[in-house]
Amino acid sequence: MNDEIFLNERVEVIAVFNDGVSSCRPVRFKRKNGREIEVTEIGLYHPTAAGRRTVHVFDVTDGGADYRLEFDSERLTWLLTLEADRV
Amino acid sequence: MREDYNPTRPLVMHIDLNSCFATVEQQARPMLRGRPVAILNRRTEHTAIVTCSYEAKAVGIKTGMSFKEAKRLCPKLVALESDPAKYRHVYRKLMVIMNDYSPSVTMKSIDEGVIDFSQSPAAIQDRDMVEVAKEIKRRLKTEIGCAMRCNIGIAPNRFLAKTAAGLNKPDGLNVISCENLREIMGKLTLQDLTGIASRNEQRLNQVGIYTPLQFLDADAVALSKIVFKSICGDQWHQRLRGWEVDDVHYDLKTCGRQYVIESRDLNRVEVARRMHHLAEAVGVKLRSQNKCARGVGIYVRLHGEDGGSASNGRWGHKGNYWHEKFLAPLPFYSNGAIWAITSRLLAHVPPGDIREIGVHCYHLTNGMSDQLALFGDALIREQQMTSAVDEINRRYGDRTVHSADTLGTGFYVKQKIPFGSTRYL
Repeated sequence: MNDEIFLNERVEVIAVFNDGVSSCRPVRFKRKNGREIEVTEIGLYHPTAAGRRTVHVFDVTDGGADYRLEFDSERLTWLLTLEADRV
Repeated sequence: MREDYNPTRPLVMHIDLNSCFATVEQQARPMLRGRPVAILNRRTEHTAIVTCSYEAKAVGIKTGMSFKEAKRLCPKLVALESDPAKYRHVYRKLMVIMNDYSPSVTMKSIDEGVIDFSQSPAAIQDRDMVEVAKEIKRRLKTEIGCAMRCNIGIAPNRFLAKTAAGLNKPDGLNVISCENLREIMGKLTLQDLTGIASRNEQRLNQVGIYTPLQFLDADAVALSKIVFKSICGDQWHQRLRGWEVDDVHYDLKTCGRQYVIESRDLNRVEVARRMHHLAEAVGVKLRSQNKCARGVGIYVRLHGEDGGSASNGRWGHKGNYWHEKFLAPLPFYSNGAIWAITSRLLAHVPPGDIREIGVHCYHLTNGMSDQLALFGDALIREQQMTSAVDEINRRYGDRTVHSADTLGTGFYVKQKIPFGSTRYL
């Protein structure tokens, strides 16, 4: 069907906060296995609500695979929740 | 009745996102761009395709086709489960863009909307509409993402604007005015017109109308007295000429949810639990619109064609569709009340393997009935309980509190995209 892998992995993220339309932009993240991934494009950003908590969802790519990063605005944590379409 | 074509400047713009859900997924996941993508509500072989990308459409895959059949046509097809949160976000972004141009914006569904520029400030109204359309296309790419595309149609009324939006897919931009109306109609078939499907086409064929041009030239009296046998005939006569007849708001008449059973051998207890889940979901929908209901209806669709005896009037034409309803003397809105009636009706469901179930409320009235408070403490308690549970679920997320009977059913009966209406977005 599709090679999506659903994850619930805490990751370390370097993000840039600036002005403009997309004010927060993850640029690089480090996985538990030590692998560092450079974000080359943010496909889509969208907020979702977990009750009254807002979770900011970033669908990103490094040019070789797509990933989904979720930033919990209350707990200030980053989670990697999806890895897909590795070439 | 106006016989002439509407000569006013085209100021109605219809915007339709191309293969919306598939495009949004391709926007979110760059590795999917240029690949055939299908969106499903559930990732099983027999599920129907909700929408697919243009790459998939190019190889013959269509909306409504089963995933198994589509995979046979295109083995490289990528199937994704729908992600309503993403589509809602894009819907809201689109709405923000559209609202910048006019106070009169109507969202027709999650992926299309209409801007009426006749209500816009003069500074916007005086601009060239084609330039405004190009600007909206650019904004879609900069404010949502570079893979986003839309069809735009501009015309003197909503119907012709929608027709114009469908002329050149994907990423089209077309204008229909009184000058080119006949030329455009000459290139279309009857079924290209929104609202004309096979049955209406047959009605028109019976009086010798085989093309949109013949339809356009038809007499208003013939359309209303012979073809449609109602006011619809007059409306079609005006609609085709560019006069506005579709700027109407319809009140909510029913409120319901359906579910296709995930496994053929599911026992009746499990089916009832899923029905209970649907009844609760209907209650939430009802209250979100500040409505009360007096009636509850349920239906089941069985596997195979042979249902039961058609004589009891509860069977549909095909024989595998059974329905039953109940009208209560007093209005209600709580999950408990809806489920109480649903479970009573459920006891009459005929034997057989169930394929699909549905619950709906009808006879809707406005307001969550203060009159209920007149009927005693038990009702007041139910009212308070319902609002407390709704408040908890609003604060901590949907279905934080639900009936014990539906524990675990949320894994199967998921909230999906409401097509057609934008009331629940």
